[in-house]
Amino acid sequence: MTRVSRLRVRGIGAFNVLLGLATALGFGLASGWKARSSLTFNPVDLSASAPWHVGTLTLATAPADLVLGLVMVALGVELWIRVPTRGVMARFGGVAVVFFLALLLWAVRTTGPAPINFVNVTAVLVGASALTMVLIFGSLSGVLCERAGVVNIAIEGQFIGGAFVGSMVASTTHDFFFAAIAGGAVGGLLGLILAFLSLRYLSDQIIVGVVLVTMLSGLSSYLNLQVLTPFPQYNTGNLAPNLPIPLLTKIPVLGPVLFDQTGFFYLMILLVAVVSFGLFQTRWGLRVRAVGEHPQAAATVGIRVVGVRYANVILGGVVAGFGGVAFMASQGQFQPGYTSGLGYIALAALIFGRWRPSGAVVASIIFGLSLYLSYNLQTFQVPVSTEVLGMVPYLITIAVVSGLIGRVRPPAADGVPYRRD
Amino acid sequence: MRLELRGITKRFGPLTANDHIDLTVEPGQIHCLLGENGAGKSTLMNVVFGLLHPDEGEILVDGVPQRFANSGEAVRKGIGMVHQHFMLVPVFSVAENVVLGFEPTRSLGRLDRARAREEIRRTSQEFNLEVDPDAIVENLPVGLQQRVEILKALNHDAELLILDEPTAVLTPQEIDALMAIMRSLAASGKSILFISHKLKEVRAVSDVVTVIRQGRVIDQVPPTTDEATLASLMVGRDVTLTVAKDAAAPGEPVLRLEDVVVRDDRGLVAVDHVSLSVHAGEILALAGVQGNGQTELVEAVAGMRDVESGRITLGGRDITNATPRHVLDGGLGHIPEDRQRYGLVMSMTLADNLVLNTPRRAPFAARGTRNLGAVRANAEDLVGRFDIRTTSVESPLSALSGGNQQKVIVARELSRPLEVLVAAQPTRGLDVGSIEYVHRQIVEQRNEGLAVLIVSSELDEVMALGDRIAVMHAGQITGVVDPSTSREQIGLLMAGAVGAADA
Repeated sequence: MTRVSRLRVRGIGAFNVLLGLATALGFGLASGWKARSSLTFNPVDLSASAPWHVGTLTLATAPADLVLGLVMVALGVELWIRVPTRGVMARFGGVAVVFFLALLLWAVRTTGPAPINFVNVTAVLVGASALTMVLIFGSLSGVLCERAGVVNIAIEGQFIGGAFVGSMVASTTHDFFFAAIAGGAVGGLLGLILAFLSLRYLSDQIIVGVVLVTMLSGLSSYLNLQVLTPFPQYNTGNLAPNLPIPLLTKIPVLGPVLFDQTGFFYLMILLVAVVSFGLFQTRWGLRVRAVGEHPQAAATVGIRVVGVRYANVILGGVVAGFGGVAFMASQGQFQPGYTSGLGYIALAALIFGRWRPSGAVVASIIFGLSLYLSYNLQTFQVPVSTEVLGMVPYLITIAVVSGLIGRVRPPAADGVPYRRD
Repeated sequence: MRLELRGITKRFGPLTANDHIDLTVEPGQIHCLLGENGAGKSTLMNVVFGLLHPDEGEILVDGVPQRFANSGEAVRKGIGMVHQHFMLVPVFSVAENVVLGFEPTRSLGRLDRARAREEIRRTSQEFNLEVDPDAIVENLPVGLQQRVEILKALNHDAELLILDEPTAVLTPQEIDALMAIMRSLAASGKSILFISHKLKEVRAVSDVVTVIRQGRVIDQVPPTTDEATLASLMVGRDVTLTVAKDAAAPGEPVLRLEDVVVRDDRGLVAVDHVSLSVHAGEILALAGVQGNGQTELVEAVAGMRDVESGRITLGGRDITNATPRHVLDGGLGHIPEDRQRYGLVMSMTLADNLVLNTPRRAPFAARGTRNLGAVRANAEDLVGRFDIRTTSVESPLSALSGGNQQKVIVARELSRPLEVLVAAQPTRGLDVGSIEYVHRQIVEQRNEGLAVLIVSSELDEVMALGDRIAVMHAGQITGVVDPSTSREQIGLLMAGAVGAADA
């Protein structure tokens, strides 16, 4: 292992230690010894699917957060001393999860005789899963494009396009299958535009992507005003129904989070598996990665570089379009601007996840949780304004992408136009 | 395979890169294509390999005319190419690189890695080219990477192998190994087209030599032809192959490096505790295979790269981590390795390029305003003195040939008051005539008492110019030897055998 990546691992270790100390001091000691926090692990809807009553856990806030903080410190120290080569990201993910737990305990603390405020962990995870799902669609789209050497910064635009068209189709056909097809087609079409301009005319991929996002956000606002506002019947009642999987939903906590979900969630899981398998186990994947790493080498053995790039950018667009429809179906309707930069956070998750589907999943879970908590912590006694809380996920994104992960290596030809002599 | 080229012509706009080239490679023959840089060798090979389409002429494989739409088709017809810049994906394993484009698969399009490994093992045994199929290519030394390239071509059942300047990146020992491989491949019936401009190698390994110059076939000669004849065929006039110089009269040390450590772009140690001193009136030649830290060392001296630890002094003044401006003003002349990127601004005029590192200084500027008359006068003076061929001093630099561009840098640096000249690969890509010229200039400066540090990966150049030769391997100086040392011993030092020259 190079010294740089050793430094990086130690950096992550140091970050974990600092976060742990902040947790122990800020959440633990500052809570006062009388404070109690209650967490419940029951399903949100008790009547539907809960044979096992896991119940409510009431803890003394200060000692609990102190312990959690020390666990984080210990995990950080372990990274610093042992500098392992594998599982660094998993350890970091673990620390992040512990941090969120400590944050929740602190947020719901009460000093009264009986708990008046408690947080439902299952509900938090279920709530965050919708955002996480959208981020995973987005970062998978990024994986498909960037592994072939094209930067798709238009994911945000593909989300918007997919959400808009998905809402209209779902409202008129009352079928989310058709909505997904339509949204995927719009995303794919935007991918085609990006591919055409950047592969045929070698335009700057970043600029084309930003232009597409700007265009889509303007166009969707305009059409929203002209079509959806006067005819609200085209934009209502589009909350996708849950399709619970029998028995599995009854697993405590994880059951409702993973197995009582919409069709889009299951589609996301399927896509993660397929892309992961395809990229690393098949001939298709080997060729895609060769095109993204060294297009000239691919060309000399007869691989059609531009063709592979077209296919992947369009495919990536379709996946991002699905993400847009999935987001719309989790909100029930289309609203201008409500994707609020999710497409860009998905790109950050892609980088954080080192251009691997599995890494993107871990990163998306962390980002999804932090986004969800920033939207919802206001309901608890957190002495911070809503606006500042809303900034936190983006600050985490910047911290993660710039410093924490250090210099990661993207596909060598990522964003580099291919010219055939 | 019998490859026949008939009247191949390829034009790029007004330039005719290949002009009715006829060439036949017989089965089992090592056929050398000898020519200078820019003679049209690479264009011709790209035509044969299907990367370019000829404007006229035809390619016959075993008597059958072929048209290759792309290089994949050429590969399928049994033509394999080992490119000068390897066509290998650095992060892939050897096996993945070798089967790319021709992958064995199982159901669902899954890669059959076991079969790929087996195929490679069989091919490498058949041709005696040992390499671990699971090694990641970027971790392999350059010589082995080249072996993977050859293996890749053979695995695609190549009957004709094109080797494009294959020795440029190899140590002398690796070159010997490559030649042995070439001979055994030819003995097993493969045809080999060997592209080179290095006369020694051409004479050592070829069966037939075809010389091309300015896109035309000049002659076909046997490999027994002596070097001087080959050189004059290649250049078109008589050339002197050696540099005339007297014994050096070294004075005080001018440039000193003490225990210098520098990292490369990836953050790895590229210069590993190097100490060197260059004396006034001597040429210290730094030899070594490309990528062993020479580039980083020069960049650190020129102020273009951070020095992590150690000290660099110029005439007794500390220039460790000084800015390039400070270093240049302190009397260091720098001929950079990548001249088009670091030495020149191609879109600016010849006159402006000649004052590129002194634009603010009198007489070229005063009170924040440029004195264009002085810039022009300077340019006209230097064009005459250094024999720079141009239509006008106001021409953009991109209009000049590579040799003349290099003369511009040499003129600019040598016309300033210098204490030391650092020249990295000063003759790379130049024709023989320009090489002679640059060498003469460097020796002249050394005779006048300048300290000179030459960095070159061409062993011939190092041995011709150096008064002392320092050999660099993996960031360290493996030895400092006299130029009378044998090529073999310097080769061992280049491969990292510390102290081999003591034997």
